Amino acid sequence: MITAKLAVVRPDAPSRAPLAGPPVSGTFEQRRRGVGILFVTPALLILAAILGYPILRSLILAMQHVRLASGHMHVHWIGWDNYIDLISDGSFALALRNTILFSLGEVILVTTIGLGAALLLNHRFGRHGILRILLIIPWAIAPVANAVLWKWILNANYGVLNAVLKSLGLIDHYVVWLGQPVRALTLLLLVDVWKSVPFIALLFLAGLQRIPKILYRAAILDGASGWQRFRFVTLPSLRSTITIVVVLQTIWSLRVFDLVFVLTRGGPADGTVLLNFLAYRVTFNFLNIGSGAAIANVIFAMSFVLALLYIWLLQPSRKGTTA
Amino acid sequence: MSLLRSSFGPRVADAGVIVGLAVFVTWSIAPIAWLLLSSILPQLSLIDQPPDISFVHWTLDNYITVMGSAATLGRGMLNSFIVAAFTTAVALALGAPAAYALARLSVPRSGAVVLLILATQMLPAIAIAIPLFIVISRLGLIDTRFALIVVYLSFNLPIVIWILRGFFLGVPAGLERAAAVDGAGLIRTFWMIVLPISIPPLCAAAVFAFIESWNEFFFALILTRQNAQTVPLVIAAFAGQYQTVFGQMMAAAVISVAPVILLAILFRNHIVRGFADGMLKG
Repeated sequence: MITAKLAVVRPDAPSRAPLAGPPVSGTFEQRRRGVGILFVTPALLILAAILGYPILRSLILAMQHVRLASGHMHVHWIGWDNYIDLISDGSFALALRNTILFSLGEVILVTTIGLGAALLLNHRFGRHGILRILLIIPWAIAPVANAVLWKWILNANYGVLNAVLKSLGLIDHYVVWLGQPVRALTLLLLVDVWKSVPFIALLFLAGLQRIPKILYRAAILDGASGWQRFRFVTLPSLRSTITIVVVLQTIWSLRVFDLVFVLTRGGPADGTVLLNFLAYRVTFNFLNIGSGAAIANVIFAMSFVLALLYIWLLQPSRKGTTA
Repeated sequence: MSLLRSSFGPRVADAGVIVGLAVFVTWSIAPIAWLLLSSILPQLSLIDQPPDISFVHWTLDNYITVMGSAATLGRGMLNSFIVAAFTTAVALALGAPAAYALARLSVPRSGAVVLLILATQMLPAIAIAIPLFIVISRLGLIDTRFALIVVYLSFNLPIVIWILRGFFLGVPAGLERAAAVDGAGLIRTFWMIVLPISIPPLCAAAVFAFIESWNEFFFALILTRQNAQTVPLVIAAFAGQYQTVFGQMMAAAVISVAPVILLAILFRNHIVRGFADGMLKG
């Protein structure tokens, strides 16, 4: 079907009478469509090959029992068994719990701190260019380098966090930060929040600067207090930005992998195993490919639902609501 | 005019803003400062309790040792550079026309196509990783830069299309109409008129794609062994091997992130604007 349409494309065909005014001519429309398809097709084909095919294959793999023997894959069809096994799998339940806690914490903290930071940066004291330079750094730093850095900061014997807290008198003796499941997960969360907040703050700042100043002037004339201006001007104007940040940050938090891999390898006692890491471990360490694919598809389904939500949320913002 | 100047009176609110900013900036920057500082301190200062940070001990020894001994770091940097540069170039070459078509030309079901491209950005890497690993093993392409370049298109192409589409939507239609009046075809209009005025967003998209590729870890972990190892893998391995040589570990980390941090700082405004526009325009 596409090839049939491509036949219409003749970019170097002698141009017809130049068009003035809005393009109404049928031939011009045809050319717009022809070139449009020509321009879009290569990108879409590549994406179909490196995304479309693997997604379908992953769905199929999850329905199979895959055995690796002497470099060959032996597969046989087992239907939903991989998924059913997950339900009674304790490590899956733990990873699911960890992931939900991690994502919830991440979204709440990143959104509120990011918004608060953006408000500060939008203040005349916060508009200094140097702040923006500093804030792009945590975003650009590689997640792996970030994890290595925090492994050093959180080091139980020589880490600077212990040294600082002790010299401030906040702790009596050095803490093994990554030694307990709950504490390790909390710190993992805080490290990721630290890395995520600055960029989100900059996004919110871009949103704040798009709010028409006249709205604030009108609010002041009406005698609105600072809080009221925030509540009735800023928040409603940022509504779509906030919802989009929430959804995107949730999706991003489902992808955290590097941090777990470097900082804790899922330990202690699987306390920091997130679904993503579990899928990796089951597939590439335990070589249980079918089961790994099933876990991956669970993450995919969660992301997919959130992506639909994102797309749905985007609709009103198209109709001219301030972003 | 400021939002935070409340009924407490301007002075109190101003003080609050300054304190808030100071706290936020300190919390954002302190870990980075410690990264830099510990990379120029000798081991003995670092394992002192508390660490002895006085500048008389400052030295570049960690950097010299790391660059001298770890040949893998150099190779990792080279691999990362080649992979990031190629995948960015291909993503721009394919993504810019696609973005233009979706913004300004006529594409059947363009709304659905745009949403589909947006949705790919939400895809967790693990969802495609296992089949990709199987296919790439079968093709004998494990541990090649080529495999990474292709796989990285899966997230770079959508980013590029997004950022550029957001920009192309705002290009005044008069420009294209003037070109048409002058008899330029659509492809020439794109090439000669639209692309030259799109240099800033093209740079933003390129920098974004380059940074994402440079920093990527997950696919590199499963698709490379030794020859094609990129720099995040080298750093992760380094941290595992030499995890008690703290200063050298930090020096290696600094070297590995310096190029992209410079890029990010240079293009910071374009990056944020490009991302925000692409994200919110949908």
